[in-house]
Amino acid sequence: MNGLDLATPAGVMLALLPELVVIGASLVVLLLAAFRHQTAADSRLAGWVSLAGLVAAVAALAALWQSGVGPVGTPSMIALDGYRFAALGVILVASIGAVLLSLDYLERENLIAPEYYALLLMATSGMMFLAGSEDLIVLFLGLEVMSVPVYVLAGFNRRSVFSAEAALKYFLVGAIASAFLLYGIALSYGATGTTGLTAIGERVAAQGVTPMLGLGIGLILIGLGFKVASVPFHMWAPDVYDGAPTPVTAYMATGVKAAGFLALVRVLMVGFPAAVDTWQPVVGVLAAASMIVGNLVALAQRSLKRMLAYSSVAHAGYLLAAVWAGSRAGASATLLYLAAYVLTTLATFGILAVLGRGGERDVTLDTVAGLARRRPVIGFALAVCMFSLLGFPGTFGFIGKWAIISAVAAEHHQFLAVVLVITSLVSAGYYLPVVRAMYMKDPLTAEQHDGVVLPGPARVAVGLGVVLLLVFGILPRLVIGGSDRSAASFAGSVLDRAVDARR
Amino acid sequence: MENFLVSINYTGWILHVLLALPLAGAVAVALTSAAVAKRLALGITIIEFLLSAPLWFMVNTATGTMELVATVPWIPQWGINYAVGIDGISLMMVLLTTMLMPLCVLGSFSYITHREPGYYALLLVLTTGMIGVFVALDMFLFYVFWEVMLVPMYFLIGIWGGKNRLYAALKFFVYTMAGSLLMLVAIIVMVRVAAVMGGGKVSFSYFHLLSYAQTPIMGRLAPWLFLAFFLAFAIKVPIFPFHTWLPDAHVEAPTAGSVILASVLLKMGTYGFLRFAVPFFPNVAFSSGVTTVVVSLAVIGIIYGALVAMVQPDIKKLVAYSSVSHLGFAMLGIWAASIQGVQGALMVMIGHGFSTGALFFLIGMIYERRHTREIDAYGGIAKVVPIFSLILTFVALASIGLPGLNGFVGEFLVLIGSFQQFPIATGIATTGVIFAAAYLLWALQRMIFNKLDKPDNETIPDLTRRELIVLVPLLIGIVWMGLYPKPVLDRMEPAARRYILTAKGMPIPGEAVTPTRGAAQ
Repeated sequence: MNGLDLATPAGVMLALLPELVVIGASLVVLLLAAFRHQTAADSRLAGWVSLAGLVAAVAALAALWQSGVGPVGTPSMIALDGYRFAALGVILVASIGAVLLSLDYLERENLIAPEYYALLLMATSGMMFLAGSEDLIVLFLGLEVMSVPVYVLAGFNRRSVFSAEAALKYFLVGAIASAFLLYGIALSYGATGTTGLTAIGERVAAQGVTPMLGLGIGLILIGLGFKVASVPFHMWAPDVYDGAPTPVTAYMATGVKAAGFLALVRVLMVGFPAAVDTWQPVVGVLAAASMIVGNLVALAQRSLKRMLAYSSVAHAGYLLAAVWAGSRAGASATLLYLAAYVLTTLATFGILAVLGRGGERDVTLDTVAGLARRRPVIGFALAVCMFSLLGFPGTFGFIGKWAIISAVAAEHHQFLAVVLVITSLVSAGYYLPVVRAMYMKDPLTAEQHDGVVLPGPARVAVGLGVVLLLVFGILPRLVIGGSDRSAASFAGSVLDRAVDARR
Repeated sequence: MENFLVSINYTGWILHVLLALPLAGAVAVALTSAAVAKRLALGITIIEFLLSAPLWFMVNTATGTMELVATVPWIPQWGINYAVGIDGISLMMVLLTTMLMPLCVLGSFSYITHREPGYYALLLVLTTGMIGVFVALDMFLFYVFWEVMLVPMYFLIGIWGGKNRLYAALKFFVYTMAGSLLMLVAIIVMVRVAAVMGGGKVSFSYFHLLSYAQTPIMGRLAPWLFLAFFLAFAIKVPIFPFHTWLPDAHVEAPTAGSVILASVLLKMGTYGFLRFAVPFFPNVAFSSGVTTVVVSLAVIGIIYGALVAMVQPDIKKLVAYSSVSHLGFAMLGIWAASIQGVQGALMVMIGHGFSTGALFFLIGMIYERRHTREIDAYGGIAKVVPIFSLILTFVALASIGLPGLNGFVGEFLVLIGSFQQFPIATGIATTGVIFAAAYLLWALQRMIFNKLDKPDNETIPDLTRRELIVLVPLLIGIVWMGLYPKPVLDRMEPAARRYILTAKGMPIPGEAVTPTRGAAQ
């Protein structure tokens, strides 16, 4: 392993190479937009440039990961380990997917503004900082850099009141969440005298959990809980997901959620493993509540977009169950599940985007009736997505759920595992009707599905997503090794002691 | 013949081919036109049957151990292997499946008239799933096959089913999934506990888990784990009161779907008890409380199924409820854990596969002609369709348990085998046989005898040659199992004895008790 001294500017630059590439790309797009922002072609150009930037960031990430670098000296602001690299991979996939879905969507909805892509890239860089932060200050900055552009993106459709509502709501709730998070950071700084996660971890292990620290952890959990839309901080999610343009919804449901969870895992695994008794009950309750409320309310939705919004709350619950485990297996399961969830959700929203018009708020089961007969490939793809969200064997979603149940069962406490499977069963009540409508009902009118055609870029995103869902569902060893190795980055002695103490 | 099979290393690849061929075939079938799809599917299922037939001779069933065991790492990080093997019990179930599938395909030729490629492709996927369940020796693999099988059946009912098909399909899916999800948790917990006790070795191998099944820690969790397995299998069997999905699914499914449901899918439940639930947790399964509950439910199922069948106006529903009754006998035999009881349960499983399969085929055939399943819509059709009536009577008698036909062997063995242990329950169960005679003979009388008083019935054409080809193999099976079941019983006996010894927690003669039983692995 080559060492990289994060105290030197060169070292930091190298360690942040993927982030820097994304930021650079966003500046290029912004510059481009200053001169060319009139036509659809301009917007499309900006999209392709962003895509190139993201692909370059993937290449930089791959190079960095391959080189096997690790930090030397004292831990610095940014992590340099496998878990961060894997996290960046998930986030970049989500962003690339979002760009691919946006390319034709924006033209169709007449949202010509190349700045869209600049915002998307900025948000991506924020996510990358958020997920890779080794320091609570960087965590907060990453969160803000991510959130502000997403507020704008949510309201990007100026002509839609729902989009405006979504943006305002998301902004207000987001601001409150930031306040909680910041206050939590301040309290934990007060309790430990540092903002570096590794240092916090050592201090907490040495001095125990003081009430001030407990409060700090609680507020940090609330702050991130808002971002990942876990119950009871989920109230914004349905309206925001519903009102935002569909590719943005896909981006929020995948990128924002992934970044939030990956940051949460790092904070809890590196910063607060010794305080596990403090946060584990809280996370457990949030997980159970999210699974139960998300799934039950999703049952009652008519609009598919809203149903997916509530289902994303439920998925936050499953992910919290993995976080709850507080072990390396849990961290690995979080990563694995997020990978599955990101692929599935991108493909699902990609298909949803071509089913309707004007924000797809009125896409219901009737809209997809008989879809499989007229558009067998799209129907099959959406069916695979539904089964993957349901966690059915043969799909990547099942592997993710299996990993979570394993991680929970390893803690010898089966309550969350049982809640998880029972609520999964409930989720069959709203995923299966989609399959049923597509395959077992007749189209309402003969020409109902004539307009349902996936444009080229979206076809790539959806196609690749569905193929990967099946491949990883059948041959999960291709990814499990990677996620386990990444989670092994949390090798701190503090974590090991905390895990041993529990067993 | 045997030399030839050895020379091509038949036993080395056959199980994998049996699993892979239908799946590959399904892809091919899905991509062809309707006319080609049915013939291709028929060809594939016939090849599948011909390939599987030599297993009858080539599997050494004398020791009752798993044969043809093959283990390939699948998800090494999680201790999961692709592990398959076959013993006398699995052998019969696999052969039952491969024998039925060509008949199901052939029997669907005129019944299915729209979206044929998808239909036949799903039948083939289902074949892989069913065979997989019977040969899987890794709990992960087993679970995957168990669940994956749901999808084709869901579509078969939901797309090609009757009027209420959407409701029936959802109910079938949700019920089965409800049971199996808890089993999923139980499997994972078992593996975790075994890993803690086995020095950290995480393995989903059936043998590995079996060797830890009776240790003290597992003992404390065992009631819960058993309950999870029990629910999964009880819903599938189905044991009263978990049976409510069955009448809906059976009645709404297309003919081939009903046949597969009755003949194979229900057997997965009883197979699950024999292979997993009881051997894993014998102390729980045979504790007096659980025994009382299971035996009572089995007997209630036998009587209740028969009584409800008696009042059904719909002949398909009548047969569906009769399954609840028949499978009650199988449960009784499994819990008797005597050699006659278990052998009887296995014979009920196979015999029910033949006779109920044939009944569903016959009902499908008459439905294609008259488009009604109301018993009262018929009457006196023996004069119009003599061959149909003859076969229906014959199969009904087999189902009732007429000596000399297959139904008798299984139920008789079960009753003998369980009388010593559960005299009262067995006594009550015996009346189930009488009820069976009542509901089937009464239905026969109303359908094919009585007066030919409805003009619609006067012009029904009799069975075609294709339909006879579908039925004759089943009829041969019915007579063979009834008159000379010895070859079948002989092949299953060592495996059945092994089940009994494991179930009673006794050492198996000639084998050292080591933590990893099943040295074949």
